[in-house]
Amino acid sequence: MRAQHGSGASRRLSRWIPAIAAPIAIGVAVVVVPMQASAAVDLPDLTPAELLEFASASEVDALSGTIEQTSELGLPDLSGLTGTMGGGAGGDASSGGFGSGSGQGDSSGDGTARDAASATDLDDLISLATGTHTARVYLDGTNARLQVLDDLAERNVYLTDEGAWIYDSREQAATHVTVDRAALDALKAEASAQAEAHADEARDRLEAEFGTPLPTPEEVLDQALAKLDESTEVSVGTDARIAGREVYELVLEPRDADTLVGEISVSIDGDTGVALAASVTASGASEPAFSVAFTEVTFEAPDASVFAFTPPEGTAVTEHEVPVPTLAELEQRKAEHAAGTGEPSDRMPQPEVIGEGWSTVVVLPMAGAGAGATEGLDPEAAALLGTLTQPVDGGRILQTSLVTVLVTDDGRLLAGAVTAERLLDAAASGR
Amino acid sequence: MSSDVTSAGRVDGEAGAPAGRVDGEAGVSRPASTARARVIGGTLSLFASELLTLFRRRRTWALLGALALIPILIAVAIRIAGDAPSGRGPAFLGQITENGLFVGITAMVVATPLFLPLTIGVVAGDTIAGEASHGTLRYLLIAPAGRIRLLAVKYAATAVFCAAATLTVVVVGTLIGWALFPVGPVTLLSGATVSVGEGLVRFLAIAAYVTVSMLGMSAIGLFLSTLTTVPVGAMAATAILAVVAQIMGALPQLEWLHPWLFTEYWLGFADLLRQPPVWDSFADNALLQAGYLVVFGALAVSRMVTKDVLS
Repeated sequence: MRAQHGSGASRRLSRWIPAIAAPIAIGVAVVVVPMQASAAVDLPDLTPAELLEFASASEVDALSGTIEQTSELGLPDLSGLTGTMGGGAGGDASSGGFGSGSGQGDSSGDGTARDAASATDLDDLISLATGTHTARVYLDGTNARLQVLDDLAERNVYLTDEGAWIYDSREQAATHVTVDRAALDALKAEASAQAEAHADEARDRLEAEFGTPLPTPEEVLDQALAKLDESTEVSVGTDARIAGREVYELVLEPRDADTLVGEISVSIDGDTGVALAASVTASGASEPAFSVAFTEVTFEAPDASVFAFTPPEGTAVTEHEVPVPTLAELEQRKAEHAAGTGEPSDRMPQPEVIGEGWSTVVVLPMAGAGAGATEGLDPEAAALLGTLTQPVDGGRILQTSLVTVLVTDDGRLLAGAVTAERLLDAAASGR
Repeated sequence: MSSDVTSAGRVDGEAGAPAGRVDGEAGVSRPASTARARVIGGTLSLFASELLTLFRRRRTWALLGALALIPILIAVAIRIAGDAPSGRGPAFLGQITENGLFVGITAMVVATPLFLPLTIGVVAGDTIAGEASHGTLRYLLIAPAGRIRLLAVKYAATAVFCAAATLTVVVVGTLIGWALFPVGPVTLLSGATVSVGEGLVRFLAIAAYVTVSMLGMSAIGLFLSTLTTVPVGAMAATAILAVVAQIMGALPQLEWLHPWLFTEYWLGFADLLRQPPVWDSFADNALLQAGYLVVFGALAVSRMVTKDVLS
């Protein structure tokens, strides 16, 4: 700028106006457009009970939309270490994105389940617990599909009448889960016949007990709400806009001081009653630790071709048939469970529950119990666990903003939405 | 465009003595309609000659040749060394042995973070600074080409090079894959399979996506090019900015900044390989790149019309 006289200088300055105006215009647009989108929403007021009833009466069975899920659990973000640009960090074939992560067990007929949790499984778990994920969902009356949009990859779950397909493009692996339909139908028929018989009997007994006819659904809801009110404050929050639709907000606040959960908020579409968003906020935090919300949704049935899946050539297909037990077997299992017997060795370890309500703690005997809590994991996974957890008296603890997990040296795993102190207390006292 | 000439004419007249001397149009007035036809014709012929100059340069072909080498290297390496262990290497690498058409996409995944921005940075950084360093900028402005029009033509030529660069990667990749590997129906990320024809259409859409991705960076390069008479400086700065933006995009601590980085959607072209294709990222990307084009285009225009053209 070597302008010799004043008017020249000001003209020169005026030529920079577009360069200054352009970012300002963009900035204004960025601020104003979302403000207009979330301009005051005013739906007719509802009480919590009315809102719950409205939501439960929702009859939407077809939709397609995009969901965004965000987790800020306070875990260190390891995505830079465990995932590489474009390629997966994993090694061997996985069972389709559903890592078990908890050691031995559940290998009933699933050819790809492994004895030890691998680093890939942990990656999957950690990637779910950190960062943002986008997925599309499709629903029509009978079919459903979840399409998780990863970077340069995709995971899909197709649910149809014929069974379920789980497809992972990164592993090029598909799992086909089928259920013996005849056996399932038989079970359903048997169960409903029995339930009907039981229901008559139960109604007679209840009516004799109460001396009045059975409560209406609204009364049941009211009673349930009253019960819920003991532990939780239920209220209707401010109306908002999710995915361009006007929504009610249902807010649940635990009254329990021991829990890490500060608030749970569910956004319910004011038109259809479908839940369009949910978020969990840790106590004392202002931003949700976990949230899932539609960013776009339509309530029209998607094209049928969306649900069609045939495994492409070159895909490793795992067939997995879920055995359907008969009613008698189910009852027997229930009885065994109640009696605390049964064969724990060939089933998932049975969890034990301490406490109730929001401060419930689940205790799980770890498979391969021993001094080393990370025994049975491959070294990479063990190293990963090591960086995530902190040593405490009697074990290692994983502290997130919502959930705390304690692995004790004597081979128990305790987890709950509670503070670390409560968990250590539960581990020591068993209460 | 008609106003460009007159305004640029005035601009040149006022922009200081040296620029005033190179302006051939100051003070000339003629009927508006003839002027407009002349301007449009002039712009087109300027654009044509600019393209001709660009694609006559040996350097341009060397850049495109280097890009073409990426898919060739990938294809030959896999042909000789066999399949990669599953889950390792860039995305889609494992699919090449089953379907040669994926060579182009794999090459695109490899080229997008570095090689493409590098080559496009060379062309974009050269636009104005190259002419200035050759001493040809003032002759371009003597011709009835306003400064803004010259800038627009230079940018359009850079955009054409972006398209040529991405098409080179995709087309060479597809051809070499066709030559060396079996070719068949294309398996999409969702597990659905589409015909070869639809697959090729999707690959072209990916080339379009990546071309759009590079437009914002081209605008940055154009602006940097107006700042200096040393083309290498503008080229290097452009390429470095692309790398820096990607590094910032990888840092979770800067998450608030990510939606504003021009590299944010660069690898989002995989959304076109889903079934049904997801166009959200295409739209988001186009909007973002348009924002960069507006901001840096305006900066380049302001810089250009106030610049003292000495060479």
